[in-house]
Amino acid sequence: MLEVRDLYVGYYKDLNILQGIDIKAETGKLTTVLGANGVGKSTLLKAIYGFLKPNAGEIYLDGQRVDGTPTFQLINLGISYIPQQTGIFRWLTVEENIQLGGWTFRRDKKRLTQKIDENYERFPILKEKRKQQAGELSGGQQRMVELSRTMMTDPTLILVDEPTAGLAKLLSQEVYQMLVDLRDRDGLTIILVDQEIRQALKIADYVYVLDLGRNKFDGPVEEFSDLEKAFWA
Amino acid sequence: MVDITGQYMLNLLLNGLLIGVIYALMALGLTLIFSVLGIVSFAHGEFYMIGGYVVYFVLQRFTNLHPYFAVLIAGLVTFVIGFIAERLLLQPLAKGEIERPAEYAILITFGLAFFLQFLMIAIVGPFPKKAARFFDLPEISTDILVTTATTLRIFEVPLSGNRLIAAVTAAILISATIFFMAKTWLGRGLQAVSQDRQAAAVVGINPLKMNTLAFSLGTMLAGMSGAVLVAVFSWVPWVGVPASGKSFIVIVLGGMGSMPGAVLGGLILGVVESLGAGLIPDPGRALAYKDAIGLLIFALVLLIKPTGLFGRDL
Repeated sequence: MLEVRDLYVGYYKDLNILQGIDIKAETGKLTTVLGANGVGKSTLLKAIYGFLKPNAGEIYLDGQRVDGTPTFQLINLGISYIPQQTGIFRWLTVEENIQLGGWTFRRDKKRLTQKIDENYERFPILKEKRKQQAGELSGGQQRMVELSRTMMTDPTLILVDEPTAGLAKLLSQEVYQMLVDLRDRDGLTIILVDQEIRQALKIADYVYVLDLGRNKFDGPVEEFSDLEKAFWA
Repeated sequence: MVDITGQYMLNLLLNGLLIGVIYALMALGLTLIFSVLGIVSFAHGEFYMIGGYVVYFVLQRFTNLHPYFAVLIAGLVTFVIGFIAERLLLQPLAKGEIERPAEYAILITFGLAFFLQFLMIAIVGPFPKKAARFFDLPEISTDILVTTATTLRIFEVPLSGNRLIAAVTAAILISATIFFMAKTWLGRGLQAVSQDRQAAAVVGINPLKMNTLAFSLGTMLAGMSGAVLVAVFSWVPWVGVPASGKSFIVIVLGGMGSMPGAVLGGLILGVVESLGAGLIPDPGRALAYKDAIGLLIFALVLLIKPTGLFGRDL
């Protein structure tokens, strides 16, 4: 379980975007964080993943404090991150991109091959395009590359930031289905930040709503039907 | 007025290619630093200068040593100096501890350049030095190719043996660098950081270590470029200044951060300089125009295609 306690963070030391946020993401569940533009949803994920240093507050993973851990070490704790802008290595091939997901166990050739094969089973289209530069793929396929790279290390928790931003509707459905599969088939804990409120609510187990950097509401997704109206009001 | 014949043109072309390979090697180092650290190192020429001096003094001290060992030692020395410089001076930049990073990078690398230049003046003095020829060419005599210890004639076109050895050595080093970048984990890690620093950190690559590695490798490549040329040109502590200028032209021409661009850009600059200088009607002044031709290319690329030949979109 990931727990964020009383988190204050911003892009400047004396200007906090998040002002005392509390979040709990239960193991094996998909927790979504919603809110209007600029309330600090992406900032929350960046802070959890060490790209922004909290000005106050604590972050725990299974009881172990993880704020202050350098970003590149978080993968060893089983946490991974999928940013809003596709974070692929555009000028490397699809296979090189996926391989780099195994950076932390790069000397274990057997495990590398096995994990790459697993990813090709998950997304057969990537096997066909393995020699192609990743930057030449469609938006949806680039997301597949990113997810494959993420799955190389068998993470237990993934932070996902607006995964369908800029994607066509059909591709968006595919991406949401991928997230559902990762939770249901692979048992991953997912924190999803999204602007696509209806889509996110369809797949989420638990919902947090932020407003101007503070918690506005949280509860199981079933409780959200009434609040959805309030949210749109 | 020179007599322009096919043979003369071939001579200019081949000599341009030979020097172009060295430009390419040096620019490869600069482009590696730029693509990973995101800064232009104004101290690049000084590492080139140090590499040359290392070879000169090593070969003076150990007269029986194979020159290639001296080149490797020069690479090692410039790698270590680059490593220390990056850790001491540039790491605060990457850690976000500097308020105005772009200005800091320019000033700190300029400062490093002056420091290294004057340090070498203090150590070795201002008088020119030149290493002995690395080795003699094997004597061959065929219809197409005739060689002596110091020169090579191909289709009756004479080439300097020293330059040829320097160019071949540089070509080997370029190939080794490209192999390293494309086929090894560390090379791919460097590429990953250069393409998306955040995504590289997410997969577990330590960007700070990659910065150090890129800067050290970049300075090593500059050092080795100087190391192969110290037997061709006279060496003074400020020899790196024009060399550095050439590297800037090459990486702008090839595209900032592009390795194939650096190689192709180096070859193009070498050939254009050679042809340009060789075709100027007054041979007495031709050499003086050589650098101006490079700068003209620099200006034209910036005006017409600022991203260079293989540059990524700005």
